[in-house]
Amino acid sequence: MATSIFSDPFLAFGLLTASASAVVLLWYLVRRPALTRATKIALLFGIGLLPIATAGNGNVAGFEATKERRFCSSCHVMTPYGDDASNRASESLASRHSRNEQFGEESCYACHANYGMFGTVATKLGGMRHVYEYVRNYRSMPTDEFLATIQIREPFPNATCIRCHSTANPGFLRVGDHASALTEVRGGAVTCASEGCHGPAHPFSKAARKRRAP
Amino acid sequence: MRWLLRRLGALDLGRLLRASALLTLLALGLMVWSMLQPTPLPVMLAMSVGQVLGTLAFAIYGYVVIADLRRKLRARRAGAGEAPEARR
Repeated sequence: MATSIFSDPFLAFGLLTASASAVVLLWYLVRRPALTRATKIALLFGIGLLPIATAGNGNVAGFEATKERRFCSSCHVMTPYGDDASNRASESLASRHSRNEQFGEESCYACHANYGMFGTVATKLGGMRHVYEYVRNYRSMPTDEFLATIQIREPFPNATCIRCHSTANPGFLRVGDHASALTEVRGGAVTCASEGCHGPAHPFSKAARKRRAP
Repeated sequence: MRWLLRRLGALDLGRLLRASALLTLLALGLMVWSMLQPTPLPVMLAMSVGQVLGTLAFAIYGYVVIADLRRKLRARRAGAGEAPEARR
């Protein structure tokens, strides 16, 4: 899952500043010069400015990397979801959206991110909860068991669908079910991604749950 | 806080600065690892432990620079106080 330094300027600049900082620090550690003004200025770059630039670029590169489907599916419990979304032959809602260029490699994030003013922060905090749950409960769980056990924490919000599929669009309202359930769809009482409407988005997990149901 | 500053004051500034340089190298290592291999573990380590180590290293550097300036200022003042006596 290595990223190319030629395709990501943040990565390239981050590596450049990290290397420059390392050179200054190694020079200081090996030569052990006296604490003169020149040494202090060199160390201001080596300990302060260059690492801050590295951290800034590294954070941006890291945040961008966490949006990618490869990142989400790198935990074994998410691998089937990632595989299905990447499968061009799959007819699932997730796969069909992943084939859309607007979603592309960031299809998990595009649909599961929170939107609004603090959307990114809320999404990242939610991601930390995923990490906690994974380490505490699901790290050693077989994928079959996981698929049958886990479910989305909160109902999938229609607002995420409506961002692109406007309910004010004449084409949307021409569909009888849309027109008759317009208030429920807008209010979230009826979920777009529910079975019988357009979902489920990841049907294989629902099948696994049904198989295990008593 | 005062206790900490007193303890830090007793330490050799050069040793503190070398510790700061080592901490920075460690933080840089974590950050570079996360950039080259952006999987959950390296990214989280870089954004938590890496940031803490880097900030701590920079704080130590700041302390050393200020402590060194204060020492030099004290020495200069002491030198200025002795000079008239030496003339006598």
